[in-house]
Formats: sequence, C-alpha cells, structure tokens
Amino acid sequence: MSSPSEIKKGIVIKHNNDLWVVSEFQHINPGKGAAFVRTKMKNVKNGKSLDQTYKVSENIDIVPMEYRSMQYLFHDTTGHTFMDTHTYDQIVMADAEVGDDAKYLSEGLGVIVAMYDGRPVALQLPKKLTFKIIETEPAVKGDTASGNVSKEAKVDAGFVVHVPIFINQGDSVVVNTDTGAYVERA
Amino acid sequence: MCDALRVTRFAFMKLKNIQTRSEVVTSIRAWFDAKGFTEVHTPRLVGLPGQEPHLEPFWMEVQEQGGTQKTQNVALITSPEYAMKRLLAEGMEKIYDVGPCFRNGEPWDGSHDPEFLMLEWYQKSISLSELMDQTEEMVRGVAERMRIAPSALSRSWRRMTVAEAFREYLDMDLESMLEDFDEDEFFKLFLTHIEPKLSKNQPTFLYRYPVQLASLAKPCDDDPRFAERVELYIGGLEIANGFEELTDEDEQRRRFLEEQKTRKESGKKTWPLDESFLSALPKMGPTAGIAFGVDRLVMVFTGSKSINDVIPFSARERFSNEMKD
Repeated sequence: MSSPSEIKKGIVIKHNNDLWVVSEFQHINPGKGAAFVRTKMKNVKNGKSLDQTYKVSENIDIVPMEYRSMQYLFHDTTGHTFMDTHTYDQIVMADAEVGDDAKYLSEGLGVIVAMYDGRPVALQLPKKLTFKIIETEPAVKGDTASGNVSKEAKVDAGFVVHVPIFINQGDSVVVNTDTGAYVERA
Repeated sequence: MCDALRVTRFAFMKLKNIQTRSEVVTSIRAWFDAKGFTEVHTPRLVGLPGQEPHLEPFWMEVQEQGGTQKTQNVALITSPEYAMKRLLAEGMEKIYDVGPCFRNGEPWDGSHDPEFLMLEWYQKSISLSELMDQTEEMVRGVAERMRIAPSALSRSWRRMTVAEAFREYLDMDLESMLEDFDEDEFFKLFLTHIEPKLSKNQPTFLYRYPVQLASLAKPCDDDPRFAERVELYIGGLEIANGFEELTDEDEQRRRFLEEQKTRKESGKKTWPLDESFLSALPKMGPTAGIAFGVDRLVMVFTGSKSINDVIPFSARERFSNEMKD
C-alpha cells in the first residue's frame, strides 16, 4: 500500500478493481481540514475520466508498471504508433489513451510508455519541450500598466500557449508538458 | 545561451509582480486607514500559538541575555488572531494587521509558502453579512486605487451558503450529513465536486459552515448546527476565511480541548491552552473578523498561477542548501 503523497502524473492506481492513470493532481491543505490530494484519473480500459480526492493519511494501491523507452512514429486511424528503442517493437495507443498530450507529439520524439500486462497504459512526455512561435501579437506599450503581463501565442505544433509579452514571433520557447505553461525562452 | 539574459528575463516578470505586491499592501493600508481602522503590529513570536489540528507552527528557542531561566520554546504565529482578539477585549474597536504568518508542513507546489503575507481585520458589532460587504468593498477599492481591472473581478460577486453549494453542485442535502458528521467525507465531496467548479470569473463567498468546521466562529442564531463562518474564493483560489466570532469562553475551551485531543490522537505535539486569550473572549463582545491571504490576491491581480511568481524567492530556492544534504 502507498500514500497519496506519492501520487504523480502518469502513475496507475487500482481503484474499485479498475486501473486508473493519474492525469492531473493537486495537493490541498484547507487549513481548517486535513491535507488532501485532488486527482483526475483516466480509466485504462475505457478512457473514462474520474475526479477523486484522497486524504493524505489514507492508503492507496499504486500499481507498479514496466516503463519502456519509446520513440514516436506517426498517427493514423488506429491511433498513435510508438517504437521501443531497444527491441524495435511497435505499439499503438488509441487517441483516447493519449488524450490532450497528442499535441506535443512529433516524429522522433523520445517518450516513456508505462506498460501493464504487456499493454501500454500511460504516456510520459519529457517534462520540458521546445516549440517555435509562429503567430503572436507584438507587445503594446501600456500592457504591463493595465495588468497584462502575458499574451497568447501559437506554436509550430499548432497549439496556443500563454507567453510573456516580450516574446516575439520566430522565438523558440520551452513549454512545461505537465501544465502546458510557458517556462522560458529557449 | 548566456546566463545574464536569463537573469534579466527572470527579473522582468518577478520585479513587475513584486512591485504590484508592494502597491497592493500600500493600497490595503490606505483603504483601512481611510475607514478609521488602526493598524496593530502584533507579535510574530509567541509562547502559545494556535492549536488548529491541521496547522503546524514552527518552533524555536528564546533566551534573555544573562537570564537565569533556561531557554524556552516559542513559536512563530500561524495567524495573529489571539493577540488581535485580546486587543479588542482591551477596548480597541476596529483593527487590522498586515504581516507574515508561518505554517510548517504545507505543500510547496505553488499554492503555499511556509511564510506568507496575511491581512487580518476585526470590527466590533458587525454581522457576517456586513463583513462580506466590507471585504468586497476593500478588494474593489484596492483594485480601483491601483487602476487595474483583473478578469477575476469582472462579474458581480456571488454569495451562497455551503448548503446551497451542495444542492447546486452535488444535488445533495447537506443537512442529511450533519447528524453524524464526518469531516473527511465533507472535504472529499467539497474538494472534488464544489471547489473546482466555483467560477473563476466571479468572486464567491461561501458561508454558513457546519459548526464542526468553525472552531472560532459563533453558532448561527437560527440553527446551531451551522456557524457564522465565511470563505472567499477569487479566480478559483481560496483567499480569505472569516467569522462572526465566538465570545463564549466555555464553548471555546470545549472546542480547544477537542482540537487538542485530535492533535494527540494523530501523534502531533500539543501545548497548554492560552488562558489569557480565553478569559479575554467575553470582554471582547460581538465582533466579526477575517484572515485574508495577500499573496493570493497578488496572484489574482497579476494573473500568476504560482505564489512563487509573486514572492521574491521561493521556499525551494531559499532552502536549497539544506535540501541537497
């Protein structure tokens, strides 16, 4: 048995006899109450989402996984295909299993795939990835005075990230893949 | 890439936010001073800190030069509440305190820092609803004085009782839970299904908490199963926690002993009750007051996701030497 304080993104918890991958988590200390960990989990089998809050002092069942280094190959109608960098085996993860993380995938990207019972159950991306800004408004004088310290920018992979106003089109930026937040200029 | 440039960029964001933080504090003081409040500077180091079962004070030793007494254990306050209430009992009417408070064992994930800036204020003879009016007016006043209009403050403020929130978000009757109240069950439901759904664009007061969750608050006159406690959420963040204060010394003693028992049962340190605080309560008379997280208000004003973006140096950074051991 494990403590909820060990909960991290990508770990697998056995809950009501099903396996759930943690997709988001947050520690909460309400002050007037005990410490809790709020989690969002995805059912390994059907991709269904569940919000679950654990008290830090209770026991949970964290399932040990086999972690394999893989390289991202391509996307087609079956889902996303990865290749084991040691055995060259190819595995496919369905779109629902990859979820929102799909936006970070590009050909050749090295990832870790958590396997259970020979099946891929969770994807772990590098924590920080670099993208090029292809579209953003130039900073406007007075922005900071009115409280705007960030703006939207579109990156080459196609998604939008909030960046500080000094970032320009053509800059490369580092994005935290856990939170989707801007980290620094690359 | 050169480090100097990196430092400059760090400084750009940080220094802007630190400047905003300073203006927030100045504006808070200006608002309270204009309303006839007196700023009090209560002690940070005390012999008997608050004994809330889920808060951990920092302990240290104090010694007087040439003192014959051996060193004595003292603690940093987790809130200035006890000292402020004693000043009210001595006759002060409207007081506020802005200063650091200290809590050990909190998560350092961007929502807490072990040392944070707390604003706390009290006024005699006002109700919980007047306290909510005052809190709203103060936050608006500070934003106006700073000439900023954060999106988190764009809509009219909402007030809902905890029972209404259970009905709206869980379709559940809170009263059915009160008979055999299970605090953990309450928090699990609240943290999973209510708190994350409170609007990010509409500041919300949640009030009338089950009496078990309001150690220092007065029970509601119309239903003693609830207490006159309020929490304020802005931009999804818990910003403030206030009470119509309990003034019944015996009831306060009973609740403190219960909390002490809870601490003992979970293997936590306990210490004697603060008798000077308890005996001051009846003299204080009807009062409402609220503890307000200044750093979190700065997060709302600057659109920061982490408290570390609005304080000069994060806990991880400050304590990194110790952590490498």
